[in-house]
Amino acid sequence: MLRMPEPDQSTLARRKDIIAAMRNIVPADGGVIVDEDQLRPYECDGLMAYRQLPMIVVLPENTGQVAAILKYCHIHKIRVVPRGAGTGLSGGALPMADAITIGMMKFNRVLDIDWDNRAVVVQPGVTNLGITRAVEHKGFYYAPDPSSQIACSIGGNIAENSGGVHSLKYGLTTNNVLGVEMVTIEGEVLRVGGKGLDQSGYDLLGVITGSEGLLGIVTEVTVRILRKPETARALLLGFNSSEAGGDCVAKIIADGIIPGGLEMMDAPAIKATEDFVHAGYPLDVEALLLVELDGPKVEVDYLIEQVGAIATQCGAVYSRISESEEERLLFWSGRKNAFPAIGRISPDYMCMDGTIPRRRLAEVLTGMQVLSQRHGLRVANVFHAGDGNLHPLIMFDANQPGDLERAEAFGADILKLCVEVGGVLSGEHGIGVEKRDLMPEMFTEDDMKHQERLKLAFDEDELLNPGKVFPTLHGCGELKTLHARGVADKFPNIPRF
Amino acid sequence: MADVISPTTPEQLRDAIGWALGSKTPLEIIGSGSKREFGHAVASDHVLDLSKLTGVLFYEPEELVMSVRAGTSLAEIQGLLREKNQQFHFEPGNFPGLLADGVVDHAGTIGGLIATNLSGPRRIKVGAARDHILGFEAISGRAEDFKSGGRVMKNVTGFDLSKLMSGSFGTLGVMHTITMKVMPRDEKTRTVLIACDDPKAAGRAMTDAMGSENEVSGAAWIASADVAKLGVSVATEMGSGIVALRVEGPAPSVAWRCEALRKLLADIGASEELHSTNSEAFWAAVADVAPFAGGSGLLWRVSVPPASGGDVAATLAAETGGAIMMDWAGAQIWLRLPGADVADAMVDKTRQIALAADGRAVLVRAPVDIRNRISVFQSEDAALARINAKIRANFDPAAILNPGRMMPSISGGEGA
Repeated sequence: MLRMPEPDQSTLARRKDIIAAMRNIVPADGGVIVDEDQLRPYECDGLMAYRQLPMIVVLPENTGQVAAILKYCHIHKIRVVPRGAGTGLSGGALPMADAITIGMMKFNRVLDIDWDNRAVVVQPGVTNLGITRAVEHKGFYYAPDPSSQIACSIGGNIAENSGGVHSLKYGLTTNNVLGVEMVTIEGEVLRVGGKGLDQSGYDLLGVITGSEGLLGIVTEVTVRILRKPETARALLLGFNSSEAGGDCVAKIIADGIIPGGLEMMDAPAIKATEDFVHAGYPLDVEALLLVELDGPKVEVDYLIEQVGAIATQCGAVYSRISESEEERLLFWSGRKNAFPAIGRISPDYMCMDGTIPRRRLAEVLTGMQVLSQRHGLRVANVFHAGDGNLHPLIMFDANQPGDLERAEAFGADILKLCVEVGGVLSGEHGIGVEKRDLMPEMFTEDDMKHQERLKLAFDEDELLNPGKVFPTLHGCGELKTLHARGVADKFPNIPRF
Repeated sequence: MADVISPTTPEQLRDAIGWALGSKTPLEIIGSGSKREFGHAVASDHVLDLSKLTGVLFYEPEELVMSVRAGTSLAEIQGLLREKNQQFHFEPGNFPGLLADGVVDHAGTIGGLIATNLSGPRRIKVGAARDHILGFEAISGRAEDFKSGGRVMKNVTGFDLSKLMSGSFGTLGVMHTITMKVMPRDEKTRTVLIACDDPKAAGRAMTDAMGSENEVSGAAWIASADVAKLGVSVATEMGSGIVALRVEGPAPSVAWRCEALRKLLADIGASEELHSTNSEAFWAAVADVAPFAGGSGLLWRVSVPPASGGDVAATLAAETGGAIMMDWAGAQIWLRLPGADVADAMVDKTRQIALAADGRAVLVRAPVDIRNRISVFQSEDAALARINAKIRANFDPAAILNPGRMMPSISGGEGA
C-alpha cells in the first residue's frame, strides 16, 4: 500500500496559528478553507483511489500572496502541496494531513496576447483550452491537447509536462512553453525564459516543466501559439492483427510522413467505444488506426492518398477517409470517449500510461493478455501509436474486496513490462504517488539521488510536495555528502597522451 | 603541455573522474575540441578528451531514434542519417567554423553539440537541440553514474535532466551516451527570397510570414554585403539584402506555400525562389553563419523576442558600427564588430541593447584575453544565479568539471 511521509505532529499542533497567518496573507472571503466539509472537494485529484483531507487549503490571488505563503511555510517548516484544476491522473496533488494545499485556480486571467511574437502570457489557472479560446478568433491555437483540456490548467500542464494526441508532430508542453514566473519555497520570484528562445545559465525552464510541483509554484506562463492548420482530414484503418496495425504505423513514419495524430485501439476498446458513441467503427477488426493529417489542403489531400496506399500495402481490411469536418470529428468522437466508454462497461477502471518502443507493441499487447488472465481482470488498450504511448485501461470493481489491489498489481506488472522492453513508466500522466514506488524499475539509487540533488537546489528542506515522485527521500545531508566510493587514489589505467 | 586523458569506455570515464575527484584535479572536458574557444577558458593542466569514446549503439530509423557514445563525430552521425533520408530536425550548423583563427573542417561531436545546445535555422519551427535529446547517461562530478530520460518519444518519468545537461557545458556531468530523436527529411525544400535592405522592414516581413499559415521553417535576413558569402548565385544576383523564407514538405504543398508567401509579401520587394539543392545549400550556409565564419572580428549572438529582431538589429548596427545578420525570424541576431579590439563601453552597449529588448547577448568569438576579462554569457539575475550555483555545487561539489567555463557565478567563483 502507498506510504506517505508521517504527518508532523508539531505542525498539526500549530494549525490555529497557521490558519491565522494564512488569513492575514489572503484576507479575501473563502481564501483560506479550514472546515472539513469545504476541504472535502480537495481530498483527491483525478487519481481517486487515494484520498486525504488537507490540513488547510489556501487560494491565493496574486504572486505576492504566493510568495508570502511560501516564505511563511519555509520559515515555519510547513509542507506544501500545489494544486491546479485537480485533473491529474497520477495523484500529484494528493493532499497531506499536515500540509497546506495551495490551489491556484484564482489565477485565471489571460495577461497578454502578443500576436507578433506568437506568444501568450497567462496565469497558471487558465485552462489549456482557454488559451486556444483566447486566440482562435485570429486563427491561432495552443498545440498540446491533453484529453482533459477543457478542465485542466496550464499550470498543471507545466507540472506534468502534459502531452495529448498531437504530440508526435507538435511536441509536449515542454516544447511549447517559452517562459514561467515561479515562486520558490523561500518566497523568491524567479523569471525563467520569456518571449525569446534562449535562457542564460542552465535550462531551468526545461527542468521546471514536468517537475510535478516539487521545485516551486508557477504563477505565470508564457506559451507559444501556432497558426491553426488550414485543414485536417482523418483516416480510419482496420487491421486483422495489432502487428499489422503496428507495421502500418512504422511504414507511414519510415516514408517520412509525420501525421498530426496517429492513434490505435484494440478490439475491446473499439467495441466499448462503438457501443457508446456509434462512431461507425468496424467491429470485426483487431486493431483500428486513426490517422489525422493536417496542413494546407493541397498537402493534406496529397498525404491522405499516400497513407491510404501504405495501409493497403500493410493489409488494411477496412479503410475510410473523412470527407467532411463532421465526419472527421465523428472519427475522433470514439477515441476521445474511450475512457468514459470503458467506464460504462466496468464499475471502475484504472488508466495506465507507459511508453514503449513502437516495434515492441505486439509483444507488449500479448504480454498484457497473459497478465490479464493471471490477475483475472479485463483490459482495453488505446494507444498514441505515433509516439509509443500506451493507455491500458484496467477494468475492476472497487466494491469487490481485493479488486483494487489486483488492479494495482496488474498495472504495476504492465509498467514493468514497458520498462523491460525499453520503455518508461509514464508518457504523459506523471509519476505522482501512483507510480512512485516503481521508480526503481527504471532508475538506480544514484540516478534518483541526482534528480533529488536538483530538487535540493530549489527546496533544501523538502517541503514542496513531499511523498511524490521519489519512493524514498534521501536527506539533505546524505545527498550533499561526497561519497568516497567512486574516488580513486591513483591514476587509473586509461590511455593518456 | 596539458596531460590528455582519453577514456575509451564509460568505466574508464568514471575512473578518470574518480581520480580527478580524489586528487582535486580540475579537468577541461573536450570532445573533438572544436568549440573549445567558445565560453571562458578553463584553467586546467588536465584535459579529459571524449573523442575516443565513440560508436553508434543503435539507430532505428522507423522508431526515429539513435543512441550513440558522446564522442561520436557529427560528421559520422549525419552521414548515417542521410543514408536513411533522416536528419536532426534542429539543423546544427558548423559552429566551429565561426570560432577564432583556427580553420576547422568538422562540426565536432554529439557530446559537444548537446553540451552547448546549438541549433540552426529550423529552431524557429521545431525547437533546439534540447528539444531532441531523449535521454543520456553520464558521470557526475561525484564520480557517480547517473542517467535520465530513455529512448522513447514521450516520457515524463522523473525530472527531465536531459534538458538540464543541454547547454551546461560539461559543468554538471560528463555524458558518455546520448539518445536522440531523429526526423525524416522533407520531400521538398524551397526558399522564397525577397529583396530588402532595411533590417526593420525585414523584421516585419519575417513576423508576417511566421504568423501566416505557411509553416515557415527558416526565416533569415542577410545584408547586401554578405549575400555573396552564402555561395548561392541566385541570391547574389539579386544585388541587395534579402529576406529568406523556407518552406518544407510534400511537393504540391511547398509550391502552394511559396506562392502564398510571395503574394503575402509582394509589397516588400522583388522575389525569387530557390529549389531543392540551392535551397539546401543556402540554409546550410545560414546554419554555419557563413558570412561571419573564419574571420577574427568579435562576434556576438544576441537573442531577443523574434518580433523585436529587426529594430534591435538596426540599433545594434547603428550604435556599434558592426555587421549584422538575422536568423530565427529575428530572434537570433549575429553581430560582428570590426577588429579584435573591444572597448568595454561597446560590451556594455551591446548588452544594454539586448537587455532593453528583454534579450541577452553572448560573446561567441573573441581572443582569450577578452574572454577572460569579461563575461562571455549574459549573467542571470541574482535569484537565478543562486539556483544555478546550487545545482552546480550539488552535481560537482569539488568543482572539477570545466571550472569557470560558463561564468563565475556558476563555477562557484573559482575564477575564469
